[in-house]
Amino acid sequence: MSAKKWCFTLMLLVTLVVASCKPATTPPPAVQHTTAPEATKPPEPTKAPEATTAPEPTKAPEPTKPPEPTTTPVPAQAKIATFIWTQEFDTLNPLYTNMWFSATTFQIWNCYAWDFDDQNNPVPVLIKEIPSMDNGGVSADGKVITLKLRDDIVWSDGTPITAEDFIFTYKMTIEPKNAVATTHPYDKIAKIEAPDPKTLVTTFTDPFAPWLGTLWKGIVPAHILQPVFDKDGTLDNAEWNRTPTVGCGPFVFKEWESGSFARFVANTNYWRGRPKLDEIFFRFVPDDASQIAAIKSGEGDLGTFFAYSDVPDLEKAGVTMLKAYSGYNEGIYFNMHPTKGHPALKDQNVRLAIAYATDRASIVKDLLLGLTGVAATYWDNTPYVDPSIKPYPYDPQKAKDLLDEAGWIDSNGDDVRDKDGVELVLKYGTTTREIRKDTQAVIQQQLAAVGIKVELLNYDSDTYFNSYGAGGPAATFQLDMYEYSTSPNFPDPDTGEWLCNNIPSDELPSGNNWAGLCDPTLDQLFQDEMVQVDFNTRQQTFYKITKYIFDQVYFLGIWHDPDLWGVNERLLNVKVSGATPLYNIWEWDLTQ
Amino acid sequence: MTRYIIRRLIQAIPLLFIISAVLFVLMQNMGDPIATLGGRMVTRPADRQRLARQLGLDKPIYVQYLYWLIGNDWAKTDLDGDGIPETQGTRHGVLRGDFGTSLVNRGVPVVQVIADRLPNTLILMLTAEVVIIVGSLLVGVYSALRQYSLVDNFVTAVSFIGYSMPIFFIALMTMYIFSVNFKKWGLPYLPTVGMFDPNVGETFPQVVWHMILPVFSISFISYAAYSRYIRSTMLEVLSQDYIRTAKAKGLPKREITFIHALKNASLPIVTIVGLELPLLLGGAVVTERIFAWPGMGRLFLDHLERSDTPVVMGILMLIAVAVIVFQIITDVVYAWLDPRIRYH
Repeated sequence: MSAKKWCFTLMLLVTLVVASCKPATTPPPAVQHTTAPEATKPPEPTKAPEATTAPEPTKAPEPTKPPEPTTTPVPAQAKIATFIWTQEFDTLNPLYTNMWFSATTFQIWNCYAWDFDDQNNPVPVLIKEIPSMDNGGVSADGKVITLKLRDDIVWSDGTPITAEDFIFTYKMTIEPKNAVATTHPYDKIAKIEAPDPKTLVTTFTDPFAPWLGTLWKGIVPAHILQPVFDKDGTLDNAEWNRTPTVGCGPFVFKEWESGSFARFVANTNYWRGRPKLDEIFFRFVPDDASQIAAIKSGEGDLGTFFAYSDVPDLEKAGVTMLKAYSGYNEGIYFNMHPTKGHPALKDQNVRLAIAYATDRASIVKDLLLGLTGVAATYWDNTPYVDPSIKPYPYDPQKAKDLLDEAGWIDSNGDDVRDKDGVELVLKYGTTTREIRKDTQAVIQQQLAAVGIKVELLNYDSDTYFNSYGAGGPAATFQLDMYEYSTSPNFPDPDTGEWLCNNIPSDELPSGNNWAGLCDPTLDQLFQDEMVQVDFNTRQQTFYKITKYIFDQVYFLGIWHDPDLWGVNERLLNVKVSGATPLYNIWEWDLTQ
Repeated sequence: MTRYIIRRLIQAIPLLFIISAVLFVLMQNMGDPIATLGGRMVTRPADRQRLARQLGLDKPIYVQYLYWLIGNDWAKTDLDGDGIPETQGTRHGVLRGDFGTSLVNRGVPVVQVIADRLPNTLILMLTAEVVIIVGSLLVGVYSALRQYSLVDNFVTAVSFIGYSMPIFFIALMTMYIFSVNFKKWGLPYLPTVGMFDPNVGETFPQVVWHMILPVFSISFISYAAYSRYIRSTMLEVLSQDYIRTAKAKGLPKREITFIHALKNASLPIVTIVGLELPLLLGGAVVTERIFAWPGMGRLFLDHLERSDTPVVMGILMLIAVAVIVFQIITDVVYAWLDPRIRYH
C-alpha cells in the first residue's frame, strides 16, 4: 500500500471516530434568574420525638462573600450545582430501588409524605401535620394512621396530588407482577381508604410502631403510571422508571445519560416556591480519588462518602465537611448459633473479654483520625439508647482475668488459650474495605496479646452479604466474628437482626439473623417494641434492649459511621439530614 | 476464500455455545444480585424470597441458562408465591435476539444498556488506538532507520517508562498535575472527569477537550510495546536482500522504507491490531473509572459488582463474537498483504 493509501486509511479512521460523536445536546440555557416567588410557609411540625442524646448537629457552610458588583453588565448565568456521586442510580422509581444514591434524589424530584430535618425530626411535606395520638392522626390502638394532605400540592405538570396517588403507590407496591425492591411495610396494611381526595386512612393488621420511618418514602403519579400498568400489566419496564418527567419535588427530571450524568431543572410549579438553584447536575465518578480531585478543582460542588483519611486534605482545600448521623454504627457480631461456630463465644465472659481486649478508642483515633466516636451500641446517635451505657474501656488485664474465669487458659504453651482440647482460634471476617481490613489487623494483634488467635477473612461485598441460600459466609455461620456497619429502619429503631424467627436455615434460607441468636428475653422485648406506638413507652423498651445487648455483648460497637458530605464553599444554605439527606434542597443557593 | 470464511463462521457456533455456558456458570458464582440490591442494608428475608421468585433466580442454574438462551415465553411462572405458576413468561431468549433485561437498571433491555455505552467507548478507544498506531509507527520507523541514535535512545527510554507504569498512576498523576495543580497555579487547565462541562453542554469541542487526559493515559502505556515491535520488525526487514536490491536499483529512500519495508513489516503488526480491536469494545476499565468516562469498561465493572448476569453476559458475548469476527478479518487482511498466503 502506498503512503497515500496509508494516510487515507488513517484519515478514514479519524473521520469515523469524529462521526461517531453524538450530536451535541442543547446546553442549558442561560436563565434570567428572577427572584423566587415567596415560598408558602410550611405548617409547623407537630411535636417530634425528643432525642435524649441529640445527634451532633450538622453545620452549614458559611456563605462566602458575594462578588463585588461590576459596572459592566454581566449576562445572567444559570445557577447549576454539580454533585459528584460515586455510584450511578439504578432506577429512579422509588418503588424499585434500595440504593442510597437513588434514594437521595427523591427529595430533589420526588417527595416523601414527610422528611426529616438535620436533627432527624419529622417535617411535613405533603401533609398538613405529622399524625400523632394528640391530633387524632394515630388511633388509640395504634392500627390506624390518618393523613391530611395539603391543599396546594401538585405534580410538576400541574395535576393535583391526591389520596388516590397514595393508594396507587400502595397497590403498585404489593402487586405481585411488580418486582419492587421491598413491600415493607405495605404488606402489613389491612385496608387503605380515601374518604375524600385530601384524606388518607391507612389501617394496619396489627399496631405498627415503625410507621414514621417506613411509610410513604416516595409516591408515584397515578395519572401517568396507571395507563402504563393497564397496558403492560406491570411497571417493571415503564419508561418513567428512568425518565420520570413528572415529579413532585422542587426540581424536575430533565435528562439521564447512562454512566455519565443526570440533570434536574427547577420545578416552576413547586408549591413551596421555585427553588433558588436552576439546575442540579449529577456527575457519576466511580473513583474516590477522582471524586476528590473534581471537588478540589471546583468541578463539583457536593460529594459524599469520603474516607476519613481524605478529610484533612479536603478541608485544607476549602471544602466544608458535614456529618450526618444516619443510624449506621460499625461493629462486630458474634456467632451465637447453638450448634455452629466456636464454643467459646457462647460464654458471656469470653465475649466480654474480647470487648475489654480491643482498644477501640485507639482505632478511632489512629485509623479514623479521631473524626468520629466509639460506638457502644447498634443504636448509637438515636434517642433509643439507655443513657447509662458507656463503651467498654480498654483493659487487657481484665480480659485475661475473664478468660481465666471462663476456663480458657494456655495449657500447652503455644500462646493460644484452650479448653477441653479446643484452641481459642476465631475466624473473623468482613468485606474488603480498607478501613475494615486495617481494623481487623489491629484487633488481631490486641486479641493475640490476651491469648486469642484470630484468623482474618475478607470477601467482596456481594459475596459477604450473600444469604444462607446463596452460601454467604456470615449467613451460613462459617465465621465466628463478623464485622460491618448497618442501621435499623432509620430513623426508626426497628430491626429484625436478633429475632428468633429470622435465623437462616434450610427452611428459611433468606433469614437475616446471622448471629444465629435466639434469646427469649431479647426476642420478647423486640416483639413488644414493634407494637408500641407511643414514643415514650417504646423508648423505655429500647433502653432495655440496648442495655441487654450491651451487657450480654451480642454486638460490639467499634465506631460511629455517620455520612460525610463535602460542600464547596460557593454552595449556600446547605443542611443535611441523616434520614432524608437533601431535605431542604429547595433553599440551596449558589454564589455567582 | 468465501468457503473458508463460511467454514470459520460455522465452526464459531459451537464455540459460542461453550463460551456462553461456561460464562453463565461462572457468573452464578459471582455473588447474589439481591443480597443488598445495591443498598447499604441487607435485603429483608421476605423481599429476597419474593424477588428471587419474580426475577427467576430461584430456578436451578440449567433452567436459568435455558431461559437465557431460548426464552421462557413457553412456560408459566409463579409470581404471587402461591406455588402455582400462573403468569406466562415474556422473554424470547438470546437465540431470538432477546438478551433480557438488566437486574440493576430494572426493566431496561440489555441491548439498550450496552448501546448507551458503546459509542462512548468507541470514541475513546478508537481515538486512543489511532494515536497509539500513528505514534508508534512514527517512533518505530524512525528508531529503526536511526538505530542507537540519541533520539532512538531517548524514545526507547520514554517508552519503557510508560510501559512500566500502572495506568492508574499515570491517570491520577496527570489529573492532579494538569487539572488540580494547574488550576491552583493559575495556568490553563484540563478537566478532571466526565465528557463535558454542564455549563457549556455536550458539544464536540467539549468532548475532545475532556478526552485529552484519558487518551494520553491509554496511549502512553500502550505505544511502548507497539513502537518496540515495529522497530524490531523494521530492522529485520531492512536487512533483507530485497531491500538491498532496491537500494542498489537506486530507488528513493522514502519508497524503500514505506512501500517495500513497512508493508512487509506490517504483517505481525496486523496480528496484534487484529487481536486488540475486538477487546476495544470492552473499554478501558481503569481509565474509564478514573476519568468517569461512561464507557463499556465501567459498565462491565459496575454490573459485575452487582452480579447483573444478563448485562455481563451481553457484554462478554459481544466481545466473544467480536474476537471471532476480527480473527477472520485478520486472516483476510493477511492474504491481502501477502499474496503468498492462501486459504482453502
